[in-house]
Amino acid sequence: MSGERGFASVLGTSRFRIAIVYSLVFSLGTALLLSIVYLAVSNVVDSGTDNLIEAEVQGLREQYRVLSRDDFIELIEQRSQAQDVRGAVYLMIDPQNRPIAGNMPQWPQSGESSGKWLEFQMWVPFGDQTRAHEVRARRFVLPGGYRMLVGHDVQERHDVKNLMLRGLVIAVLLTLLLGLGGGFWMGRRILAQAGAVSAVAQQIMRGDLSQRLPVHDSDDEIDRLARDINGMLDRIEQLTLGMRTVLDSAAHDLRTPLNRLQSRAEAGMAAVPSASPAHQVLEQVSVEVDRMRGTLDALLRIALAETGTVAREPVDLSNLVQSVAELYGPLSEERGIAFEQRIDPAVTVQGNRQLLAQALANLLDNAIKFCCADGRVRIVLDRLADGNEVSIADTGPGIAADKRELVLGRRVRLDEARSLPGSGLGLSLVAAVAKLHGAKLTLGDAHPGLIVTIKFPA
Amino acid sequence: MHILIVEDDETAREFLAKALREAGHKVDTAGDGIEGLHQATSHAPEVIIVDRMLPKLDGLALISSLRATGHKTPVLILSALGEVDDRITGLRAGGDDYLTKPYHLSELLARVDALARRGQALGGEVVTKLKVADLELDRMTRRVTRAGHKIELTAREFQLLEYLMRHSGQVVTRTMLLEGVWDYHFDPQTNVIDVHISRLRHAIDKDFGKALLHTVRGAGYSLREEE
Repeated sequence: MSGERGFASVLGTSRFRIAIVYSLVFSLGTALLLSIVYLAVSNVVDSGTDNLIEAEVQGLREQYRVLSRDDFIELIEQRSQAQDVRGAVYLMIDPQNRPIAGNMPQWPQSGESSGKWLEFQMWVPFGDQTRAHEVRARRFVLPGGYRMLVGHDVQERHDVKNLMLRGLVIAVLLTLLLGLGGGFWMGRRILAQAGAVSAVAQQIMRGDLSQRLPVHDSDDEIDRLARDINGMLDRIEQLTLGMRTVLDSAAHDLRTPLNRLQSRAEAGMAAVPSASPAHQVLEQVSVEVDRMRGTLDALLRIALAETGTVAREPVDLSNLVQSVAELYGPLSEERGIAFEQRIDPAVTVQGNRQLLAQALANLLDNAIKFCCADGRVRIVLDRLADGNEVSIADTGPGIAADKRELVLGRRVRLDEARSLPGSGLGLSLVAAVAKLHGAKLTLGDAHPGLIVTIKFPA
Repeated sequence: MHILIVEDDETAREFLAKALREAGHKVDTAGDGIEGLHQATSHAPEVIIVDRMLPKLDGLALISSLRATGHKTPVLILSALGEVDDRITGLRAGGDDYLTKPYHLSELLARVDALARRGQALGGEVVTKLKVADLELDRMTRRVTRAGHKIELTAREFQLLEYLMRHSGQVVTRTMLLEGVWDYHFDPQTNVIDVHISRLRHAIDKDFGKALLHTVRGAGYSLREEE
């Protein structure tokens, strides 16, 4: 399922990174091991050839001393013929540099020489063609101005060494490639497993607590983790459902008597003359019931938002902010407060439209309520790279920095606000709604006034 | 109008029945879901008021069975629960309107009236032109005229007027307007609706002799031609 998650995200997995480290270590190890083998082998092969040549030189010097020149030349010819061309190489030249005996056409013109050792290339027949072979040789002078060259064709040795070197490089590259490939595969696997977990987690965060992680029969560490998380989810679901049940029964047990009270008050009002003191008392009862209902509604909504079980769906935030601004704009202007709005189009968030609308309405309500006359209220929706941000600012007295945290708590009304209507739950509801949507709520200084910002994650 | 109340809380049921009878309606009552379903199918009420939580047969189950058997009678759900999700489940089960306890009698009466009219209009053709006295609204051309003069309205004012005209002659509460025009289901702390009404009133009534948009004290508003 995570095949579409892309190459880059696989490279970012911890398993892939571990695989890179391991394949680097193994490649280095392989390189080291093979290098040692290479050095040892080439050392043995090289010194073997050199010893052979040295022994031959030694032997020929002695033969030259005991044999006549013609016999010596005969010996050289014999040895040259007896040996395979790829094997020993001989050449004897006279003081005028003319070849006398040997299986080499002429004294080498070029080639590297280090001390008494000479390395050069010699053309040898290879099928119908010729090919250059590396030859390592020693040269020495014989009494009488004759010079002698004894060498050995080391092409095979070179071939073996090159082959080993190539093998070394290929082995290291293969190790590296296998490591990376394996790491990529493991990365994809963990990504698929993690993807399944995060898909479920997102559904749960959207309020669907019945979702569970897939468990396979492999009983590996991921499976055990999934089982543990599922157990935890069972518990959370139980607790949350319990909380909903408590909320529902609390709502029922409070609303039912309030409803009776309201009905009785209204029936009473209908039964007595409208100017009588009894009517006035009943009217006040009705007003108090309304106020209690308002508080109860707000408390229940806050509690409901905090259980996180409210249904969420895509909400056109641009549209919603526009519509709330439209609802409050005229009220603001009627009170002599300038109303400004700037709304980025096509912003969508995953959320509950009703709760979002009420949160925004509460903020605008507060802004207009606390803004002084001739002031200004401004609502802005910004589409930012890292999320969407709604901010509502007024030019009222604002809230002192040390009291900002305080007002987000439940039922806090600052002294300055006691004379104004409201339950004091407005901001608490905003805070709960923001939390439900994973949004960050901040109160700031608008210089002058208060600016409230709700930042939704991208 | 013939109304059926299905409510297990006896006090609330009796007060409601009495108030509805005083308002001139014929009222049947039932105390549980089974009895309610029986009466709803045999007595053919015009509007049914159903409590969300009922003994024997739950309010939502009652509505579902009613709809499943082809009964289209408008249903108003009364609920003592919260309203964010419950409203949606209630309407999805087949309810037509949703009212949370405690409610004002005026709010309930206005909603019952609106539902009854909707019940009558069921199956009727879609009306594109609305008319109250000399005020006319064309939903296709989005044109509003009064006594032949064109009236300029914002999109929201147009929606507001359309809602009021569709319920002309009835009382429309602020909550109904907030739900019907803005689709908001909460009580704003301030009466924001009043400002919108006063703007609309300014547009449609100010330059004309007879006022059409009236305030109904303690209840809401009504668009009608007063005799």
